[in-house]
Amino acid sequence: MPEPHSPRQNHLLAALPAEVYERLLPELQITPMLLGWAVYESGDPMDNVYFPTTCDVSLLHTMTDGTPAEIALVGNDGVVGIAVFMGGVSTPTRAVVQSAGDAYAIESEALREEFRLGGPLQQLLLRYTQALITQMTQTAVCNRHHSVTQQLSRWLLLSLDRLPTNRLLMTQGLISDMLGGHQGAIEALEILQQAGLIEYDRGCIIVPDRKRLEGYVCECYSVVKTEIDRLLPRPDTRYRKANPSVAGVSGG
Amino acid sequence: MSVHAISASPSPRQNHLLAALHDAEYERLLPDLEHVPMPLGEVLYESGGKLEHVYFPTTSVVSLLYVMKGGESAEIAIAGNEGLVGVALIMGGQTTPSRAVVQCAGRAYRMLPRALKKEFDRGEAMQRLMLRYMQALVTQMVQTAACNRHHSVEQQFCRWLLLSIDRLPTNELTMTEGLIANMLGVRQEGVTGVATQLQNEGLIRYEDGRITVLDRPGVEARACECYAVVRKEFDRLLPDEMMN
Repeated sequence: MPEPHSPRQNHLLAALPAEVYERLLPELQITPMLLGWAVYESGDPMDNVYFPTTCDVSLLHTMTDGTPAEIALVGNDGVVGIAVFMGGVSTPTRAVVQSAGDAYAIESEALREEFRLGGPLQQLLLRYTQALITQMTQTAVCNRHHSVTQQLSRWLLLSLDRLPTNRLLMTQGLISDMLGGHQGAIEALEILQQAGLIEYDRGCIIVPDRKRLEGYVCECYSVVKTEIDRLLPRPDTRYRKANPSVAGVSGG
Repeated sequence: MSVHAISASPSPRQNHLLAALHDAEYERLLPDLEHVPMPLGEVLYESGGKLEHVYFPTTSVVSLLYVMKGGESAEIAIAGNEGLVGVALIMGGQTTPSRAVVQCAGRAYRMLPRALKKEFDRGEAMQRLMLRYMQALVTQMVQTAACNRHHSVEQQFCRWLLLSIDRLPTNELTMTEGLIANMLGVRQEGVTGVATQLQNEGLIRYEDGRITVLDRPGVEARACECYAVVRKEFDRLLPDEMMN
């Protein structure tokens, strides 16, 4: 049964002490994230920051000739728009919704204000950025050393980790963008399908047996997952009660 | 990120982040900064190891490498006089799965993470600079990821050479082909072939592990777009006016 929607479905928001969470709450707007929507275009000013709850957003890098490649995936574990608190205002990276669902949006200035207090939100966002950096760098290495089929497997598992189901709605175009080429993407889908690791039909990918796919994927998946688990609160810390010793932290 | 003249005596201000601090902030850090040699090939951090120090390079360049279980590696970013090595300590991670290796010998200033974290937590210029630097570093990593997928060894070599030179006070660097090959994640023969080709065309001089860039525009023309993208992002996030 689906629970009523709450910002606490996002793991970062869930890990905030009640005092901080309640300060942010009036600023958080639930926002439908439609498949293929470009949350940010490369170089655009970023007016809002998004905390996904039931969607996945892909961070894509586009070369000047238009060739895209995925560099990281953000779902209920994270936040889209780190440049806002890192100080960049815009970023050369595109962010595109690759699995439709909802997110909570907050105006960039409101988030920056809370970040500047130097309390739990700052700590959490910096840790998240560190985990995101691991994901990006692992993707860099994976792009060089592993087959497109392994890359697709890694990407499938990371996506499913961030969603409540074992089923992904995707277009072939988005998959091609992510894997950096159309031909390679189609071949990789066929290989996984024939090996019985996925069921793929008209933009819907089902992973019937996660364990088997984990046995097939390159090490990059577990490196990224381990680092996220190490740096970030686990979902089971959700709805944490206010902890006075943490809630009282402020900057300076 | 303009190339500054080499001053006669070493100073932490040769590092652009430290140079950008106000006197009061700089003087707070000064007693904690230790001037250290950075020998070629020295491993500052092993993947997963605890980070003991944060390094602000002045005349050295450090390569951040990812090492796979099978031993294959690939460079994900480089840091020199524009930045610092050990961001994970500030971000809250303590360790990182990447390895940091000195790829151009020289010197750096290092400090204990606790002292830097204290300054960071004041929420003043150091915090602003470091966050911006990390944002620029993320762009470099992202671009490297894309470059690894799409560009030739020659293009990657030229990108790497230009980014390295930008982070050094001269247009010359000391390297081994083995280290370059590790960094680019390619075979050593591939690197030798590219370096020989560029030398034959008069773009670089390459002897005894020393590379000198003779024709910078020529090398820029041979690099992929990745160099310009990274350079632009560093200039945007850490512009000269902010750094002076």
